[in-house]
Amino acid sequence: MDVLQILVNGLLLGALYACIAVGFSLVWGVLNVINMLHGSFIILGGYLAFFAWRDLGLHPLVSLVGIAALLFAIGWSLQWGLINRIIARPVLTTLTLTFGLDMIVYNFMTLAFTATPRRVALDLGVLNISDVVVPVDRIVAMVLAFALTGLLFLVLRSSTLGRAIVAVRMDRDAAALMGIRVDRIYAITFGLGALMAGACGSLLAVVYPVTTMMADQFLGKAFVVCVIGGLGSVPGALAGGLALGLIESVSGHLVGPQHAMTIGFSLMILLLMTRPTGLLGTQGYE
Amino acid sequence: MTRTLAHAAYVLFLGLTTCTCAAQAADVVKIGAPLALTGTLADEGKKQALAYDLWLTRVNAAGGIDVGGQKKKVELVTYDYQSDGKRAQQIAEKLITDDKVHVVMSPFGSGHTKIVAGVAERYGIPVVAPVASSESVYDQGFKNLFGTLAPNSGLVDAMLTLFTSEAPGIKRVAILGRDDVFPRDMAETLRVRAPSAGLEVVYSEFYSSGTIDHSAALSKMKGLAPDWIYITGYSQDLILARKQMHDIGLTAPIVTMITGPAYREFIDGLGPLSEGVTSVTWWHHTTTYDGDDPWGSTKAFYDDFKSRESTDPDYIHAASAAALVAVQKAIEHAGSLEPAKISSALRTLNITTFYGPIVFDEHGMNAARELPILQVQGQTVKVLFPASIAQAKLVTLK
Repeated sequence: MDVLQILVNGLLLGALYACIAVGFSLVWGVLNVINMLHGSFIILGGYLAFFAWRDLGLHPLVSLVGIAALLFAIGWSLQWGLINRIIARPVLTTLTLTFGLDMIVYNFMTLAFTATPRRVALDLGVLNISDVVVPVDRIVAMVLAFALTGLLFLVLRSSTLGRAIVAVRMDRDAAALMGIRVDRIYAITFGLGALMAGACGSLLAVVYPVTTMMADQFLGKAFVVCVIGGLGSVPGALAGGLALGLIESVSGHLVGPQHAMTIGFSLMILLLMTRPTGLLGTQGYE
Repeated sequence: MTRTLAHAAYVLFLGLTTCTCAAQAADVVKIGAPLALTGTLADEGKKQALAYDLWLTRVNAAGGIDVGGQKKKVELVTYDYQSDGKRAQQIAEKLITDDKVHVVMSPFGSGHTKIVAGVAERYGIPVVAPVASSESVYDQGFKNLFGTLAPNSGLVDAMLTLFTSEAPGIKRVAILGRDDVFPRDMAETLRVRAPSAGLEVVYSEFYSSGTIDHSAALSKMKGLAPDWIYITGYSQDLILARKQMHDIGLTAPIVTMITGPAYREFIDGLGPLSEGVTSVTWWHHTTTYDGDDPWGSTKAFYDDFKSRESTDPDYIHAASAAALVAVQKAIEHAGSLEPAKISSALRTLNITTFYGPIVFDEHGMNAARELPILQVQGQTVKVLFPASIAQAKLVTLK
């Protein structure tokens, strides 16, 4: 029983990590922008879900749609109005810009909402399958992570917009010559990254207490998951998340929770040394 | 060369004496406070800022602090140190050398208090720590550091005494602590002291700060069937841990979360899941003290606080305001703004305030206090101990 429970814990945690990282991976992979705002976007989604639940009585699964749309609009506007202006500069420049924007968003949230942890105090219940306990909110997070990843995968593979995004990722100049409006694709992609962060944040508000203090933790996790899973690959975020979740769960059980993160980071370094593209990464994005 | 050195020493001496004279001749009492207004400790930092402002408003409305028969207004010099220890160190230097404050209030927590106290000690400036309770901060030989919280060991002893007498069936304790100065110290103190109270420690582990999942530790704990689950951390850790305990069906007759129930957000964030969780804290607004301070009683402090805020004050607010009361009384007793005299007055201070008694021991800790043990009962916090202010009896969870 124990072994099964540990594996289930790991998979559920991994799905949450994947949920956190999918949008971050997309923006990094397509735009070559390390979006330091990602953690704050998740927290913003969480706060909006909390206030929608507390003040309007909306269930986070309902408000999720509106929050995701709002975050898309915010992400789109930021990319269109600001980041696009320096998108062709080295990655460190865009990183610095998003870092600066993150400080503004982070401090705005701290001022407006205070850093007091708030949680949507809903109990979605648990499933008990032959002594293995599975919390329903985590299952929903897992389904969301899979659904978002799957949807994104389909969009990138089968739609005109998706092909345009992939084309821009492969060769920006050639895509522009083919008539693709690169700046628009960038804005949409960044918007999609923010949308996923918002959706994930509203769901996380049920699982975790929302506080601006968590923004850095989520950003850090997204970073590790992307490196493990591989850049430029949407399923890579899923694989990386699940791998990290399982590693942390098993090592937390075997050697104690204190060392779980250290082991996760050590394996990331090992992977970087032996397979810089990550588990499912594409050559050229490492 | 010798001449140059002598000249430099003379200039330095002149500078120092000018600095001291400027401070002494000040028309205002300057108190410096690095505050964590942003960053990971922003919530606690803002609570400190609010409590400082409550005190400052009261004191200045009454004309200021009496310094040797002359009332002087108080100026609070604050900077945001962004929850960053290095920045706290730089700000402490600036407050002392540039702003020329007479007293420094240390930031939230034991770790950053240690840093700031180290700086102030070099300049001989008194530091009053509102929210630092780890003995490891006070055993460094600092002569100018004073803290309004009681030592962590006092918190643990109070719980051991109450729980073993009111729930004699508890034998096995499981401990999970956040790997951070205060939470680690509280977990470690129980691990060391539990056996002498007849308890067996069946699990004792730490989790890193930034952990966003406790399922591995809690699943392991579940297999050990403890009678007392004891988890330390900050509100977000504890809310998460309590929720995950519920998810995996882990419970015990006593569930203690240090210092979860002391904060309103813990109960709000958990709803019914907070029911029955115990904790110990340094102060609770239901205590009833009459004191020699700008408020005069715990109730007056509570009412003043509630006139500004919708939430209840917690121990951070109270200990921060009380720390400034200690500074105020020490300056009044010293009749001077000279740092050495203020330190000396703090050493011999013996007052009762809205917060309770403040008497600093030889290490600078405020040890002479009975600490309230709390339990969430009916979605509100009830005081279980000390008997003089107890509102309810301990209720075990299963």
